[in-house]
Order: sequence, then structure tokens, then C-alpha cells
Amino acid sequence: MQEYIILFLILFFTVAFIGCLYLAKKAMVKTKNEPGKNIPFESGHLHKKPVWGRYHIHYYGYALLFLAFDMEMAYMYPWAVVYKKLGIAALLDMGVFLLILFLGLLYTWSQGGLRRQ
Amino acid sequence: MMMWILILCLFCVSIYAISVVEHWSIYRHWDFMYPFSAFASSFVQEDVKPRMHDRTFLQTAPILFIVAAVLSVSVLPFAKEFILVKLGTAALFINAAFAYIMVSMVLAGWAPNGLYSMVGGWRFLGQLIAYSMPIVMAITSTVMRAESMDMTEIVKSQYELWNIIYQPLGFILFYLASLALAFLPPFDIPNSLGELSGGVFSEYTGKKLLIFRIGRLILIFSLALATANLFLGGWFGPFLPGFVWIFLKTGAVAISYFFFGRLMPRLRHDHSLEWSWKYGTPLALINILWVGILLLL
Repeated sequence: MQEYIILFLILFFTVAFIGCLYLAKKAMVKTKNEPGKNIPFESGHLHKKPVWGRYHIHYYGYALLFLAFDMEMAYMYPWAVVYKKLGIAALLDMGVFLLILFLGLLYTWSQGGLRRQ
Repeated sequence: MMMWILILCLFCVSIYAISVVEHWSIYRHWDFMYPFSAFASSFVQEDVKPRMHDRTFLQTAPILFIVAAVLSVSVLPFAKEFILVKLGTAALFINAAFAYIMVSMVLAGWAPNGLYSMVGGWRFLGQLIAYSMPIVMAITSTVMRAESMDMTEIVKSQYELWNIIYQPLGFILFYLASLALAFLPPFDIPNSLGELSGGVFSEYTGKKLLIFRIGRLILIFSLALATANLFLGGWFGPFLPGFVWIFLKTGAVAISYFFFGRLMPRLRHDHSLEWSWKYGTPLALINILWVGILLLL
């Protein structure tokens, strides 16, 4: 419990430090409003449409694979803590689980999923 | 109490040194006043907000960035008894904190409604998918050896043999992944000045950019500290007291980031994705197997 209070205090003091910086800054400088100053940088010509449109994320295949492996990591941490105690049984249990995931990775590779789509 | 003040001073000196070395690695000359002049110039810079920005994200992204970096420092030990927050799940906690770096970077890319920052944000997300598995698995294999997620226990498990010798593969993967996490040179496509005109940070000026830059220095420090604790034996070392050793190791790792980065060409994000999933993740799994077999012997 005490640890989390300290963590919260660290968080609070970091935000407070930023707040002080912002306040000091506000007292010192003012932004002048000028036409054309607040246009996003786009090398001279502006985008016709807003940028928050559809963007093709070329790595969606990897993202699916990442999701599978990320779920596996949730099991990995508690397993790693008790690993030495359980011995060879733990290695085999996790080995089978990882092998299945690894076969998935190999299958994705064989189907060309590890290329830019 | 005196020790804590000393550690705080050493922390500030490390941040200063990282900043100076980063300046040297870009401009190739020593400028020891650079951190102060950069601070002053960012501090008085006008704070221009792009039109049609997303207000919430624009304000929260820098704060989230620096908070995540500070929280990841706070669970890492500086010496045997000197750890800000002694968590039982520290190894998991630093992972969670590093995940928020990605969140804040994507928010920062989204918020200003500028093309370059948006592309930078998406690229950083792609980079996350590449580096996150090696970094997580490298930490897991150190947890396996220590039988605990407590950072102090992880350091204590390296009393006889440092993890860098016990599991060199894990160290290499962690090192490369931490370069990608802090978007340092070979992996700096989300923020590179030459390619994306600053990328995620291209629309940020003034105080927000300043917060980002301080946060990045703390992030580099925290990654180097994590490397020192997880793989380089933490506070163990002959002759000198523990906290001196840890700052020496952290400084050496942080400085090596800049020297290593300049030796390599910039990696495209699809290349880093491809190589990380074809070689990085299988190698990380092999590292876990290697540690598992060594532990059973």
C-alpha cells in the first residue's frame, strides 16, 4: 500500500513540476496571433482534406501476430517466477504452448505475412 | 537522507551528461553549456498551437510521456537499499510504463492534425510492434533466473555472474529494443529531422517540446538504468560503493547508445518489423529456452 502512495506522490510531483513550468512560461511569454502562423508544417503546400482521415496501416498483419504473442506474455510472467521451483514440468508446459504460437509465426511467414502488405 | 541528495545530484549530472553527449553525437563538437541554452531557448519560445488541433491530446501527450519515463525510473534500484518504490512486480511495472511511451507518442502524432506528425505517430506504432516482443521476453528471462519480479532480487541473482554473460542474447535484444523504444538513431524514423522534419514533434513548440525533450532524456536514462540493473549486475562491483557503480554503468550504457547509433544506417519501419519478427522474436524465445535449460542443470 505504502509503495503505491509513493508512486502516486511521484506522479503528483512530476505533474506539479510541469504545472510550475507552464505557469512561469505563461507569465513570461505571450503568443502573437498572426495569419498563417498556426498552419501545420507541410513543405509549402497544404493538404486538401483533414489529416484525420483514413490511413492505410501497412502492418496490420504484424499487429494480429503481436496480439497473440502479447496475450502469451501475460502468462509468461507468473510462469517465469515459479519456473525454477517446478523444474522440467514447467519447461515442457510452456514449451508446448510456445511451440504452438511459434508454429503460428512460421505459418504466417510461409504465407508471406511477414512482408509489407 | 544525505545519500538521497547525493543520488539526486548524480541523477541530474547524468541527465546533463546524456544531453551533452547527444549534442556531440549530432554536431561533433563539445558544447558544455548546450543543455542550459537549449532549456532557455525552448522556455522562451512561442507556444504555437496548430489550427484544428485536438485539444485534449495536445495537452496530455507531453505530460503522459514524462510521467511514464519518471515512473519507470522510480521502480529501478540505485543501490542496495536505495530504491524509490520497492514493488513486488517491478519487472512488469517498467514494461507497463514503457507501453505508455507508445501511447503518448501516438497521441502526440494525432493531436496537431499535421501530416508529418501523423505519419510519425503511425510509424512509432509500427516500431512498437517490432520492438515490444524482444524487450518483454528479455526481461522475462531475467525474471526466470531471479525467481522474482522484484528488481532488487533480479540484481541479487547476478551476484556471481552478470546476466550479460549468462544470457548474452537477451542483452543484445534488450539493447536494440531499448534503442527502438527511445527512438535513437538507427530506429529514429518516427522523429527523424531529415526524413519527416521532426516527425511526431514537428508541430510542437515551446513548453510542450521542452517537456518532450526532458522526458526523452529521462527515458534514455531510465532505459540505461534498466539495462544496468537487468544485465550488468546493478550495484555489484569491486572497490567503489554501489551507487557509484550503478551510475558508472548507466552512464556507459547511455553514452554507448549514441555511439552505436551513429554507426548504422537508419532502418525503415517495415524492415525493422520484418527483421524483428523473423529473427528477433525467435531469438528471444531461444534465449528463454537457453536460460530454462541452464537453470535446470
